[in-house]
Amino acid sequence: MEKMLSVDVEKHLGDFTLHAQFEIGSQVLVLFGPSGAGKSLTLNCIAGLVSPDDGVIRLGERTLFDYDAHLNLPARERRIGYVFQNYALFPHLTVRENIAFGIRNVSNMRQRVDEMLKLVGLSEFSARHPSQLSGGQQQRVALARALAPRPELLLLDEPFSALDAPTRMELRRELQTLQREFKIPMVFVTHDLGEAYFLADQLAVIHAGKILQLGAPGEILRRPCCLPVARAIGVKNILSGIVESRDANGCRVRLGDAVIDAPLYPFDVETRVSVCIRPERVMLLRPERAGRSSDENAMHGEIVREMSDGMTATLFFRASTARLAATQDYDLQIELPVYIYERLDLARQRQWTVSLRKNAIHLIES
Amino acid sequence: MTDDGLTLRLPSSVIRPSFQMNYPSILLSIQVTFFATIGILFIGLALALFLARTPMRGKIIVETLINLPLVLPPTVVGYFLLIVLGRDGITRWLGVNLLFTWQAAVIAAIVVAMPLMVQSAKAAIASVDPNLENAARTLGSTELEIIWRVTLPLARRGILAGLVLGSARALGEFGATLMVAGNIPGITQTAPLAIYDAVQAGRLGDANVLVLMLTVLSFLCLFAVNRMQQQKMKDER
Repeated sequence: MEKMLSVDVEKHLGDFTLHAQFEIGSQVLVLFGPSGAGKSLTLNCIAGLVSPDDGVIRLGERTLFDYDAHLNLPARERRIGYVFQNYALFPHLTVRENIAFGIRNVSNMRQRVDEMLKLVGLSEFSARHPSQLSGGQQQRVALARALAPRPELLLLDEPFSALDAPTRMELRRELQTLQREFKIPMVFVTHDLGEAYFLADQLAVIHAGKILQLGAPGEILRRPCCLPVARAIGVKNILSGIVESRDANGCRVRLGDAVIDAPLYPFDVETRVSVCIRPERVMLLRPERAGRSSDENAMHGEIVREMSDGMTATLFFRASTARLAATQDYDLQIELPVYIYERLDLARQRQWTVSLRKNAIHLIES
Repeated sequence: MTDDGLTLRLPSSVIRPSFQMNYPSILLSIQVTFFATIGILFIGLALALFLARTPMRGKIIVETLINLPLVLPPTVVGYFLLIVLGRDGITRWLGVNLLFTWQAAVIAAIVVAMPLMVQSAKAAIASVDPNLENAARTLGSTELEIIWRVTLPLARRGILAGLVLGSARALGEFGATLMVAGNIPGITQTAPLAIYDAVQAGRLGDANVLVLMLTVLSFLCLFAVNRMQQQKMKDER
């Protein structure tokens, strides 16, 4: 029987209101959003460290919290594992003692701890204290400690945010392996989009205390439901437009001075829309290729500014004839790998034709 | 010690100190301090845990009351204790007269030492990372188990420092003890009281040993506390 986690809670903290509602099986749900959105608060409500003001929390056949029924199981009885952002390892105990902390059954304690140590690859470190371990090792101990009592659900609050990039990658993969092995639901909080995309079976974008969109990560990335979600998931080009016409093939949207071909959306003519285009989906056309009629939404212009972080180059493109956004000095942000930047000699070649593929355009009603 | 009212001449017993042991007062001091320390430990720890972890509106009033003996004149503390322990106070309730007994000396010592213990222990307990306690909760510990397995072990330095400081203070208690326990040699005359007696009577020789002993003991206590604080700062870095 798959263990289902069902959450529907409300919590008021001064001006801030959290309303979290979702249901998952033995999968990974990633709560993604900026700081202060209410992600940690949601975890604390589920874990029983904070009492919601209304709602119900169910795990499997057990009800952990039911406001109307005056039911509020204390944290120690919920059988939920929690991995904290700063590890929260007991500094006065050894690795072995830390992992054994939540195990009640003394008879197979040693065996279980040995098992967990092997699982996270820290068997030789069992006698050390947390202060003698690296960040990645500490986080592995925290994971082992949370999983040792065989919880029915695992909560993780930005567990890898304090680690260097290679260690993060490693631990993400290890966590995925652990989840598939233990087959329990996991709720993972992060503000790192790449991490969210990698780990999530289901992605929930949370903003100002509300879950704005919940679904498969690929779907959310391609079709954000509203502007806050679009901004959160990296849509750098959000332009205001009006639907000019609509037929069986798609919509035509007026954007500033230009008119572009967008996919079919159920919007009437004259509807105000926000046009969302991911920066990596704007195509630069080679000069010898430009001018072919099959290129969708082609426009000429020049690169007025650029930025680079060493791996990805961000270009700011300004259309020469038909401007899309009159308010800024550029119309589109374009992202491409630095090696392509070098290959196309973008440092010197500034005049370009860009193409917006129809399927790279997403419309949100304003 | 002047002869013409102008020149100060020190008595011979100070210039050539003589040392006579006043065993009863030393033993009494040890006895009173020992039991006072036990009382300070349990009552002080309970108060510190309460103050550090329980949210309560009037907490600051409770704290101020506990800290009062730190600033009140010892005779005022003694006066209040007289009322509580006297004929119309606990005595009526318990059926036993506690005044002018060594037990009263213990109570007076506990009261004046309590602020030192509670301050130190409370700070140490409050400085334990609440996430550690939360982690313990998610791992199935009851609140008592958390206090025993997580909070107290991590706060042990501050608690020990408070206890040592409190004991030192208990050892040196004078004013309140004088009022509720009296100054009965052999029964309630602790070392500090014996010193007072001896100096009043000009028997400086009697006072010398006790003064030396109390000074050395207090020095050692403070030294130990400072070492512990140093150690704590080193650990935190």
